[in-house]
Amino acid sequence: MTDKPRNQKPTAVFEVLDDSGVGLSDGEALLDDRERRLVEGAANFYALAGPGQTFRFTVLRGPAGTMPALTDEERTTIEWEDDHEVVGSLVVRSLMHTIADHPPSDGLVDIAVDIGGPPAMINAYDQLKGVLGKARKAVRFLAPVQFDALRQFRTDMVERRGRDIPRKAPIRLSRGAAATPHGDTPAILFGLHWLELGGAERWAIDTIRLAKEAGFLPIVVTDRDSAHEWITRPELDGALVVPLTVPMDPKQESAFLNGLLSAYDVRGIHLHHCTWLYDKLPWIKSVRPEIPVVDSLHVLEWRTGGFVDISVRLSNMIDEHHVISPQLRDYLVGKHGMPEDKVVLATLAGLTTDGIAVGGADDVESNPFTVAFVGRFTQQKRPYLFLQLAAELKKNSPREVRFIIHGHGELAAEVNSLRARLGDAVELRGPDRPVSDTFRDSDVLVVSSDNEGLTLTSFEATAAGVPVVSADVGSQSSLIADDLLCPRHPYAFIQAAAARIRTMMTSPDQRKTWLDEQAAKAEAFAKLPRAEDWTRDLYRGWLK
Amino acid sequence: MSTVAAVVVTYNRKDKLTTVLDHVLAQTRRPEWIVVVNNASTDGTDQVLKEYEQIDGVVVVSLSENTGGAGGFATGMNKSYELGADFIWIMDDDCYANSDALEELLNGHSKAEEAMGMPLPYACSLVKWVDGNICEMNNPGTTWDWGKLIAKGQENVLVTHCSFVSVLFPRWALTKFGLPLTEYFIWFDDQEYTLRITKAGPGVQVLRSVVVHDLGVNRGVNFGDANASNLWKFEYGARNESSFRLHHENPVAWLKFLYRLAQGLRGGNVPWSIRAKLFRKAIEGITFNPKPKMPRSVL
Repeated sequence: MTDKPRNQKPTAVFEVLDDSGVGLSDGEALLDDRERRLVEGAANFYALAGPGQTFRFTVLRGPAGTMPALTDEERTTIEWEDDHEVVGSLVVRSLMHTIADHPPSDGLVDIAVDIGGPPAMINAYDQLKGVLGKARKAVRFLAPVQFDALRQFRTDMVERRGRDIPRKAPIRLSRGAAATPHGDTPAILFGLHWLELGGAERWAIDTIRLAKEAGFLPIVVTDRDSAHEWITRPELDGALVVPLTVPMDPKQESAFLNGLLSAYDVRGIHLHHCTWLYDKLPWIKSVRPEIPVVDSLHVLEWRTGGFVDISVRLSNMIDEHHVISPQLRDYLVGKHGMPEDKVVLATLAGLTTDGIAVGGADDVESNPFTVAFVGRFTQQKRPYLFLQLAAELKKNSPREVRFIIHGHGELAAEVNSLRARLGDAVELRGPDRPVSDTFRDSDVLVVSSDNEGLTLTSFEATAAGVPVVSADVGSQSSLIADDLLCPRHPYAFIQAAAARIRTMMTSPDQRKTWLDEQAAKAEAFAKLPRAEDWTRDLYRGWLK
Repeated sequence: MSTVAAVVVTYNRKDKLTTVLDHVLAQTRRPEWIVVVNNASTDGTDQVLKEYEQIDGVVVVSLSENTGGAGGFATGMNKSYELGADFIWIMDDDCYANSDALEELLNGHSKAEEAMGMPLPYACSLVKWVDGNICEMNNPGTTWDWGKLIAKGQENVLVTHCSFVSVLFPRWALTKFGLPLTEYFIWFDDQEYTLRITKAGPGVQVLRSVVVHDLGVNRGVNFGDANASNLWKFEYGARNESSFRLHHENPVAWLKFLYRLAQGLRGGNVPWSIRAKLFRKAIEGITFNPKPKMPRSVL
């Protein structure tokens, strides 16, 4: 065994007793930084859930594209799939105090943690099983626009019915019966979906930074299967990160949360799209009702309501709902009758616009006219619809036109294949290229999404002086000129968007009028409270 | 503090419009915005509005075609919603509000909500004719327990529907129920809308909030008054109410409406050709069933 203790960070909840291949102590490391942090996250979980216990982790690596499995109930099984290699062995002892009246077992608890394979784009349609699943996938990729049209009709039908959301009954206690004292380190518990690129995650990471700046230890849990490529971001340095994989053993869930609540002085909980933590709020509020809970909400999902409706259901456990768009404020207050003072509108305007210079409008009269798409290649963003629009404009435009499609994601293969049909007219740009370049080169940005909250790219385009043609979804109307809001249905979208873009090609004056309207809307929107200011004040209040 | 947008819909009444706007601008609780919807007037209203547009808070929406009162109110309410108003106060272009009409509406609505222990979807004013009598066309329908708030010392009456002459809507009512039906064009759009939002609870008529409706004659709506020159209005009325009774109430309510229509026409001794046209419109209501549009959240 190596000397102990090796893990001396102030946030440490375990000490390393021996390490082979993981690299948490000074020995040879077979894991990269991301993988090591995943193992550390698993060790955090077990150390918190098993005070005083000693754990031996056998670290497995799966094939490319497989997801980590770190905390689910299968981890105590000491058998694994044939295609998983063993890349580490680690023994740690929990530094957490125990309230048990007998000492923990001297024996090792064996855990097999799977750090998954190297990150790879997984298409959700590839995971569809059975004949029906395969048929659905085939139709989706053979006729993406037609398939989308059917999806939109389905959305219309479901949305027309509306949703009644039953509320979880409130907790009537002002204090929970005391079991253990809590630690001294002031902390904020964050619940995230995953540690990957996304608008909500970008904001979540920012709040973690703000918590650190305010003097808190951020405790970050996630509940969604992911390679967690952002786990190495500097904002998470010094944070206690626990990427959960579910389903977990219920006993371990409460033990883990008890560990957190007793190890630290948790002053507040901030949820960012984390179902697991939402579901634990009733229990947390029962044992520690004095801990304030807020959540940040971004997008109202078609058909299910998504996290917004989960938040409505659990509203009695939440002290304040932070929303980033007027649409969500109206949904919570107007549709669900929440008290106005419980819903805080604080926007993300300007979150990503630093370093974007005005420039897009300079060459509007020179050929060719450039139409751009910036975003992830996912079903929600509908890049195939942008390419269909490109085909329509290529076929019939008053001027030479070219297209830039900038992004990456699970639909990359489809984007490549559709793009190939359009020849050189479409330039594909990846994440290695800054989006500011694309805005500088563009005359108009197209947002073809099926659903949105308020796209950060629309803020960026406005900062760059580029008008945006957008599907009329979410709160896009807060930023986009009225005439440039197009129907959500695919054929109507293409028809309307193509007509507006053709008008821009022939009428620089009209383009400027629309851009001015967009800028005026952005200016009015910018006067709304900003999320960063609200959060900073909130956390400051939690320090007192 | 809550914000208010006043909405005035106008069509070819530029003389009265200035009086209306001056009364709104002189309110003791001045609205943050005054949204004037010009329903494609052809009498020079646009010139009059150019002057008012210079005043802080006045927003003019000029439509390229006349969309009727229903379309005008839907447009103005949507615009007010987009501006971010917490309350929307709507009226016709011949409605002169007493200087404290809005202040009393807001107070009355707030007190009524407090006494009822629930949010109330609208508050309307007491509408008088120019001679000080009650304006017959704008008398709201009352609930069975209309005197509930009076018994609690308030000068407020619980109502089930009212006309669009000085009505105040909280923002949430639009979020939840949408906008008036543009397709109705004119007549019964106000009743349909206030009946629709009454599903959330009764409205309240605030008796201390008074406006004057400057109509030519003080007379309520009666199908017995139909003639060749006003037939177009009665046709909208017959179609719209028929549609509402059938699609939003029930077939019995629809049959009762047809009976009332027949009784009214017979009582007014309306010519048979006009009666036939109105019944044809009432039958049109069977297939006429527009759906409300939702306002956009912008700010």
